[in-house]
Amino acid sequence: MSESPTEGTATDASTERAAEETPGDDEERSEIVLEVENLRKEFGALVAADDATFDVERGTITGLIGPNGAGKSTIFNLISGFYEPDAGTVRLNGDDVTGIEPYKIANKGLIRTFQTPRKLEGMTVREAMLIGPQRQPGESFHKLFTAPGAVGERERANMADVERILEEFEIDHLARQPATDISGGQMKLVELARAMLAEPEILLLDEPVAGVNPTLANKLADQIRRLHEQGTTFLLIEHDMSFIMSLADPIVVLDQGSVLMEGTPGEVRTDERVADAYLGGGGV
Amino acid sequence: MAVLDQLIELTADGVVYSSIIVLGSIGLSLIYSIAGFANFAHGDTMTVGAYSTLVFFGILGGTSISVLGLPLSFFLALLSGIAVTAVVALVTERFVYKPLDIGSIGLLITSIGVAFVYRALIQIQFSADSRRYDIDRLRPIEWLLQYNIRMTEHDIAIIASAIVLVVGLHLLLQHTDLGRKMRATADNPSLARASGIRVRRIELWTWIIGAGLAGAGGAFLGLFNQLVPRMGFNLLLVIFAAVILGGIGSVYGAMLGAFLIGMVVQLTPILTSIGIPIGSEYARALAFLIMVVVLLVRPQGIAGEAVGGGG
Amino acid sequence: MADVSTLTDPRGYWGDLTSEERGVAGFLAAAVLVLLALMLTGVLNPTYFLFLFGLGGMFGLMSLGLNAQWGYTGLINFSVAAFFGLGAYGAAIMTASNSPIAGDMNPIFGLVLGLILSAIVAIAIGIPTLRLRADYLAIASLGLAEVVRLIILNEGQWTAGSQGLRGIPAFFEGWPVLSTLPETLPQVNIEVIPGRVVTLGFPFWRQLLNVTLVLTFMAGAYLVLRRAHRSPWGRVLRTIRADEDLAKALGKNTYFFKMQSFVLGCLVMALAGVFFAHLQLFVNPGNLDPTTTFYVWVAVILGGAGSNRGALFGGFVVVAIREGPRFIEQLPPAFLTEFPPGFLRDLAFITDDVLFELPSIAISPGPLQLLLVGLLIVLIMRFRPEGMLPPQRELIWPDAVDENVRKRPDSGVREQRGGDGDE
Repeated sequence: MSESPTEGTATDASTERAAEETPGDDEERSEIVLEVENLRKEFGALVAADDATFDVERGTITGLIGPNGAGKSTIFNLISGFYEPDAGTVRLNGDDVTGIEPYKIANKGLIRTFQTPRKLEGMTVREAMLIGPQRQPGESFHKLFTAPGAVGERERANMADVERILEEFEIDHLARQPATDISGGQMKLVELARAMLAEPEILLLDEPVAGVNPTLANKLADQIRRLHEQGTTFLLIEHDMSFIMSLADPIVVLDQGSVLMEGTPGEVRTDERVADAYLGGGGV
Repeated sequence: MAVLDQLIELTADGVVYSSIIVLGSIGLSLIYSIAGFANFAHGDTMTVGAYSTLVFFGILGGTSISVLGLPLSFFLALLSGIAVTAVVALVTERFVYKPLDIGSIGLLITSIGVAFVYRALIQIQFSADSRRYDIDRLRPIEWLLQYNIRMTEHDIAIIASAIVLVVGLHLLLQHTDLGRKMRATADNPSLARASGIRVRRIELWTWIIGAGLAGAGGAFLGLFNQLVPRMGFNLLLVIFAAVILGGIGSVYGAMLGAFLIGMVVQLTPILTSIGIPIGSEYARALAFLIMVVVLLVRPQGIAGEAVGGGG
Repeated sequence: MADVSTLTDPRGYWGDLTSEERGVAGFLAAAVLVLLALMLTGVLNPTYFLFLFGLGGMFGLMSLGLNAQWGYTGLINFSVAAFFGLGAYGAAIMTASNSPIAGDMNPIFGLVLGLILSAIVAIAIGIPTLRLRADYLAIASLGLAEVVRLIILNEGQWTAGSQGLRGIPAFFEGWPVLSTLPETLPQVNIEVIPGRVVTLGFPFWRQLLNVTLVLTFMAGAYLVLRRAHRSPWGRVLRTIRADEDLAKALGKNTYFFKMQSFVLGCLVMALAGVFFAHLQLFVNPGNLDPTTTFYVWVAVILGGAGSNRGALFGGFVVVAIREGPRFIEQLPPAFLTEFPPGFLRDLAFITDDVLFELPSIAISPGPLQLLLVGLLIVLIMRFRPEGMLPPQRELIWPDAVDENVRKRPDSGVREQRGGDGDE
């Protein structure tokens, strides 16, 4: 979608692509992981999402930006099933997932993080990490008693994964810390690491570096790049412009609930409408 | 025709009962939204009102002048009882709830402890036996009986007093600065705080008004039935049902909800008469089921807007 | 009694306790010693003590059940008494001599019926309420518990209504050996203080059998709940408690997990009810009084939400509070003249002749219990909202960690940590 010029609206782009793809290539998985079409959500008189339409292509880091109140978080909540849209559709790998429950969407490979993660009281970091893996046999009550061996086996494997990924994230020293005792930035790293344990096809990150010091922010960016190279698709909201401009391509700009434009970081930076929207919305 | 007669008779009782529930519900609803937790001590606050009225009435004794079959001193005792209840609530707020920093669920659990303490102290002083105000029971008013309405002057007094209190509250809410701020805070506490309302003052007045009305409701409940230490606790769920039906945070919703729930409870016997096999023993159960259904399908209540429901 | 593993490995267990746990353990040991002394000197009837211990176990069971709901998952269940009652009625309907539908059957059938009934009602109550916000769940569950009580009270064709169900046999009636064991055991006389003979006879052995039963139930429930708590399943529940949205975002069907936690807890409460029916040999709708629910809440809050041992501890403390005043009342009058404490007399500030008839033994046990429980709730919430034995250990499936599972976080909440005591 990156080649779509500044003029072309996101809607045009997505219909074009849909047309290209309908014939054939069933064995090849769709190049579009996430398709958002005419998504609409109203809260009383406030239209938080106004026919928003955009796609996320496989293998991209797609950025979602916009001035405060542009509806970024609403869109995230609509995509991940936390809000039910008033109209529009969300497709994940071609499946319609509009309005289905968040856990089902997660099971289909879309994992999201939250802007302000709540601390998991009473858990250590590695315990909190262990929630990430999907379809654990130990999450089924009866298997705890009928198949304790299988539960233990998977738990050991998950434990090993946790240790490995904490090392990759260079936070293995935190493994046994209470999850309530680590800094906000470290928590963001833990969140990202945990989300990876769920082996997502697409990961939605809601302001991954908000309130994080620059060193940690760089570390987070490196991790996102590394995971991206390993094949994970990202959609991320971020206020920190330099962070998102250096990381994401393409970038979707939201304003007042609808897609203003999308393009490469360069195109976004030079687009007048974007500048206007940000000025009108109270600056960057 | 028999059903109609029964309906009239039950409606009369229902109006009296509803008046009492209304007085309880307003405070519970206000405190729920402004103090931010479900106050399980609210029923026992009503009991406090009933028994303090009993104490003052015992001190004042009967007077020769009476209004609607109630000696003037009873009304004095009632006012004193209301004042005591408000003070008890304020003291509780200051020394129990205020110092806590444990969130709304913690406050909810604490309020159960408070309810037990109120009830235990009352039971220690007055025993678990039932009591009555030392006022003669009245016969139903003659001229109403021809319409099949069995109401005593006391019943009229309860309804009239409830109306006076509710109208007074309405005037306060609509025409005073405090009232406007209270409504604003009840509607949206965080917005009120952001817009510079001194929420602490509003909170204190909420406790005074809420507990005062509950105290009056308790006193009337004692007049309508009798006084037992469990009287308020037994009524608590019915009041919750009323508040939830009306929409938490909405004073007028609470009034409407209380009226409807009171009527449902008192009118349940009519169901058997028209062939639905639900006896009056399930009157309260019916109220609770209504409450659960409302929570499920319309948690903001019948009067609340989607935003005010606090969902 | 605080933990089964105390029995299996006392030394390693002690070494690994936090200071709070040692405090509580010390307190319990002291309590046991005092009780033992009271019994040996004949002040406390041993049979009565066993009865109280049975009640303690029963409350411990209910607390375990509630802990599996509130402590693990954060579900505010105010219908504990209803599930306790369903267990008791399930047992009674099958075994009571005046049961309108079944009756006089082997207590095993009562156990099964009690559990099935409570599971069905738990699902029925859970379906609507588990979608609700926490405080709404509290109100709704209290309301629905009242509906259950009203049904048991009014549907006399099944439950014999307000007169209750009588003639319930002991649980082991009809079992080989155990059924007749109390009769066959000899009478034992103990004389510690000359002239005060403490006799242990048939009633004592019979209560001892009851205590064995409740200990069995407790051990079973405890082991199941502990395994569940340490499992990935329990981890999802704890995540729901902290942040339900997070659990959903990570693909967990939180509604289903909440339902499982709710039903599991209710089953344990029903187990307590089954035991009660065979302890009291009589049940009536009064056993479903909502006050019981709040006693159990006190036990869980006191013990520390999320702590199974805390729940058991709290259960026994609550029985001490409930039965203490009753016991004090039975003490010789000389003890009591000083008993109505000063503060209660001071309360009589309007000492009017008619209004305050404070008799010399002022307080019947009812309100004093209520007062103590109420004050206890307020004080815990004020000074120690996390309870006496808050959970402080990592909960990971035991054989998934090579090191000792009991280890607490490196820089955990507690200062010192014991040696390598194992399971």
